[in-house]
Amino acid sequence: MMKEYDKIILGAGLYGLYAALFCAKRGQRALVLEYDPEAFGRATYVNQARVHMGYHYPRSLSTAMKSAGYFQRFLEDYGFCILQEFEQVYATSAKFSWTDAAQFRQFCQAAKIRCEEVGPERYFQPGMCDGAFLTTEYTYDARILRDFFLEKLAEYPKVELRFGARIRRIYESGNQFVVEEEDGEVSGTGFLLNATYASANQVLRRVEGILAEPFGTKYELCEIILCHPSKTLEPVGITVMDGPFFSIMPFGKTGYHSLTSVTFTPHKTSYDMLPTFPCQEKSRGGCNPAQLGNCNTCPARPASAWPFMSHMAEKYLRREYEFSYSHSLFSMKPILKNSELDDSRPTVVRRFSEKPTLVSVLSGKINTVYDLDEVLII
Amino acid sequence: MKENNFVSAVVYVHNQETQLTGFLEKINGILAENFAHYEIICVDDYSTDQSVGRIAEFAQKLEGASVSVLHMSYYQGVELSMNGGMDLAIGDFVFEFDKISCEFPGELLMEVYRTCLGGYDIVSAAPARAERWSSRLFYQVYNQAAGRRVMLRTEAFRILSRRAINRVHSLCQSIPYRKAVYASCGLPVETLTYEEQGKRSSMPREEREVRRDMAFNSLILFTNLGYRLSSVLAGLMMLVAMLIGVYTVVIFVSSRPVEGWTTTMLFLSLAFFGVFAMFAIMIKYLSVLIDLVFTKQQYVIEGVEKMN
Repeated sequence: MMKEYDKIILGAGLYGLYAALFCAKRGQRALVLEYDPEAFGRATYVNQARVHMGYHYPRSLSTAMKSAGYFQRFLEDYGFCILQEFEQVYATSAKFSWTDAAQFRQFCQAAKIRCEEVGPERYFQPGMCDGAFLTTEYTYDARILRDFFLEKLAEYPKVELRFGARIRRIYESGNQFVVEEEDGEVSGTGFLLNATYASANQVLRRVEGILAEPFGTKYELCEIILCHPSKTLEPVGITVMDGPFFSIMPFGKTGYHSLTSVTFTPHKTSYDMLPTFPCQEKSRGGCNPAQLGNCNTCPARPASAWPFMSHMAEKYLRREYEFSYSHSLFSMKPILKNSELDDSRPTVVRRFSEKPTLVSVLSGKINTVYDLDEVLII
Repeated sequence: MKENNFVSAVVYVHNQETQLTGFLEKINGILAENFAHYEIICVDDYSTDQSVGRIAEFAQKLEGASVSVLHMSYYQGVELSMNGGMDLAIGDFVFEFDKISCEFPGELLMEVYRTCLGGYDIVSAAPARAERWSSRLFYQVYNQAAGRRVMLRTEAFRILSRRAINRVHSLCQSIPYRKAVYASCGLPVETLTYEEQGKRSSMPREEREVRRDMAFNSLILFTNLGYRLSSVLAGLMMLVAMLIGVYTVVIFVSSRPVEGWTTTMLFLSLAFFGVFAMFAIMIKYLSVLIDLVFTKQQYVIEGVEKMN
């Protein structure tokens, strides 16, 4: 027996659940299929938890302006999961930065975002940074956001969420896509949304009958370290940006700080069309190039780069900004290859077919989720 | 027991595909055996051979340590490139390998490290044998002119503490010649010597040119040799101009010279005297300017000790 839906959404990350709620509010029937046993188990949870205001992209004004535009809206919609009470400091390193203090000031002016200069000595060892700026940027708590979405969705009986879903086939039939699962469930829809992240190309390749051109991405196996901040560090987030540096900032409302560094956060890189990594062989069948497992629970997850990341941060920070190791989170991150030069992070929405419709969305930022609106509004 | 201190090794690489792998394996072996955490930074000074490929091959096999390559945009010589590598290093202690050579004994690496822990902020390893004649000449002139307590010499590698790195960065606007800055940093430094194993490799032509340039710059920036030499010359010439003046007057009085000779000579000696006097003042100005522009700190200290 085939069940029919207005939309089938693959992936229960923020983009997937946002799309489901969007459809639910329009009275549509929707099905969300998730490989993991829970929602928000990968990229939505395992990242710096930044609600981007645009500071991160001093070489891409377009990305910056768009982030700033969505920032306010995200704040109004999901303020309950956002931590605002901390000082977010952006700094430019004296060496190796692609952007210097004056350029950053200019950029903030152009993007019309807050940027108050403070003495770098307040946070950094002498000579390490040539500019430090107080900014307005917040962090969201993925767990609180997830519970909100699950609660809301439960109010709509026309929306179904299936965790631990194992898809056997996806194929085109008439003007419908049919999704067959291992356990015998068969579902049909005129609109299939691929809202997975690192698995985007894996899903696209499995849709039979459609020649979907894959995203030009590379893949990085990334580590986010959660640490206990000292009293001085607790109300402060610090990002030394645009170069081989680091960031240490509050991780939602968890009380942890996340520690990441451009050089040491990515452990392994794959340049293949599908994510292919040597550690997959040791994953006890949980992960392969055609179907990614969850790196965070994988037995073959790499050893932590804590010694390296902590040393980099200590080299920059004043002694009183201490922190100690708690645990690490791992996740796979797809990176669009053409964004390296200007470091932009565009939301890529691809429409591969009409009637039935196949849409794939790829975005590395949480508050650009609103880019989905125009895709779903039909 | 492995050392808990994080060390970085910064290696200068310029077209050394043949020796590179052996060298990296040698130092990695020692570091892996002795340190829980370390990183290797190769500064690739625009190599046109397979050097970078060799590093990639080497890094593939490595687990648990970090290997990075800093690519220089074009050939910039060992000093500037190594400055970049040092800025990238995150270790508590940083080894500097200015050239790739395996002529030093392996144990020396740890000996240098332990000497550093023993209270010397910068410890160098230098071959006991005399060096190239041009280097010898340079060091002799330099040491004589600088007159500091630390003598410069040819070195194979050295280690710096984080304190020393911070200190040298706060001393000068830039670091055109590390050895000179290290020697004048005012912190306790030490040199260990060793007997070389095997033959020393020769220096390529382009590097020789860069080094010659650097030698002159260092003499001017770090010693007052240029100033002293030119002020002595200016003084000498002033003296000569003055003597010519006296000679002219004597000739004018004792024998009758051709008409006009005396005025010409007196004018010339006066004019030359003036020119050289101006030179002397200008040289003084320049040396003061170099000092103002280049040095960031007026004095350097080794430490403060409380005596009671």
